[in-house]
Amino acid sequence: MFKKLFLTLTAGMLLAMTSLATAGASPTESIRGSVDSILALLQDEEMDKVIRREKIGEVISERFDFRAMSQRTLATNWKSASKEQQQEFVQLFSKLIENTYIGRVEAYTDEKVDYPGEKVKGKKAVVETMILTASADIPVNYKVYQKDDKWWVYDVIIEGISLISNYRSSYQEIVKKEGFDGLIAKMKAKIKELESQPQPA
Amino acid sequence: MKKLLILLVALGVPVIGICGSTPAYAENLAHENENNFLIMAAADNDADSKETVVAADDFYDDELLFLDEDEEILDVYDPLEPINRGIFWFNDKLYFYLLKPVAKGYRWVMPDPLMLGIGNFFSNLASPMRIINAGLQGKFSDAGNELTRFAVNTTIGIGGFFDTAKDHFNLKKKDEDSGQTLGYYGIGPGPYLVLPFFGPSSFRDGAGLLADSRMDLTYYLWEDRDYWAAIILRTVNTVALDKDTYEGIKRDALDPYLFVRDAWTQYRKNLVDN
Repeated sequence: MFKKLFLTLTAGMLLAMTSLATAGASPTESIRGSVDSILALLQDEEMDKVIRREKIGEVISERFDFRAMSQRTLATNWKSASKEQQQEFVQLFSKLIENTYIGRVEAYTDEKVDYPGEKVKGKKAVVETMILTASADIPVNYKVYQKDDKWWVYDVIIEGISLISNYRSSYQEIVKKEGFDGLIAKMKAKIKELESQPQPA
Repeated sequence: MKKLLILLVALGVPVIGICGSTPAYAENLAHENENNFLIMAAADNDADSKETVVAADDFYDDELLFLDEDEEILDVYDPLEPINRGIFWFNDKLYFYLLKPVAKGYRWVMPDPLMLGIGNFFSNLASPMRIINAGLQGKFSDAGNELTRFAVNTTIGIGGFFDTAKDHFNLKKKDEDSGQTLGYYGIGPGPYLVLPFFGPSSFRDGAGLLADSRMDLTYYLWEDRDYWAAIILRTVNTVALDKDTYEGIKRDALDPYLFVRDAWTQYRKNLVDN
């Protein structure tokens, strides 16, 4: 009874919030657009695997701001890196993120995605999504910011785990032990390994 | 119930001694209903005040948005890293050479609905753990929710095999455990710990795990060998239902040990904060 009332109120508030925030595509609409295209690609069984990955990669690079992600991942190490090092890092890091993200969504081809809400504050927003699987619901939140009238993803938070924080912490430790060049070398080796490996079905 | 409380307190005391307590209790109360967004908003205000300092940097405007936002490095206290890495290696081998092949065979013979049912069944048996811990944290509506779920699923859901509470009454499970309760009362995780067989944990959550096993009806329904058989069935069933999460991490991460450690630390912190 109270739960219902509460839900109605919350839903009402969310609706009010979204209607205020919709100038151009809302953050949720943007994310939904990308997620839907990716799901459509994943569900197209006749498509060649390599081509599919490429196409998903295109959708992702139109929505993920890899430069912002790189900068936030490296934090202080970004500032001390040279322009060339930064560029190289962005390039390698986008490949890794893309791979990780695709690898994860590929496992959830047949699941439904729900959009419980979004929270907008100025040029930043959090879009909440819920992947509904048979055994559990997995919350996946996208942190987005607005640039040139478009919402760009700068972090993905899965079950409370921020991808960027995770990378930041691990990469920091690798830089500390092996230096920036050591990190770059590790990333290159990993990408090579990923590319030579057949993708799991 | 009383016995459980005593056990929890008894477990809690040495943990406080080991981990050192952080006065997070008051903080948790204040932050209880806060979410990412509010934290983000707070970070925003922070960013405003530091703008003059940041402006000296050579980034273009858009990048200024992020400079001060949750850039604090996730601080994981891991003094036992060499030992932890050893146990991580052991668990890794255990997973790939024993657990995974068994789970694959199991998945091959078991129909999906049956696996889901078994998962629900064990989850339902662990309801007292969630009820008690929600209650201990003063989250009475969550405790009531779990109690209702337990009643509904045990009866209409035929011994917990079906999650009728979720499917027909929209009552969703909310995970609570003893580690979260200890965290709620201000006890920090202490050193990161990789447990053989159980995987990533901490001094606090390891103690919590022990308390949890005593709030799980599985412990009281079976004895000795049967109990361990039930635990093994539960584990294999869980792995069979999982979509190769660990394989993904192994494949993608530069250092899987660090990735798992940091992800797990964030995951637990998030659970304690909510």
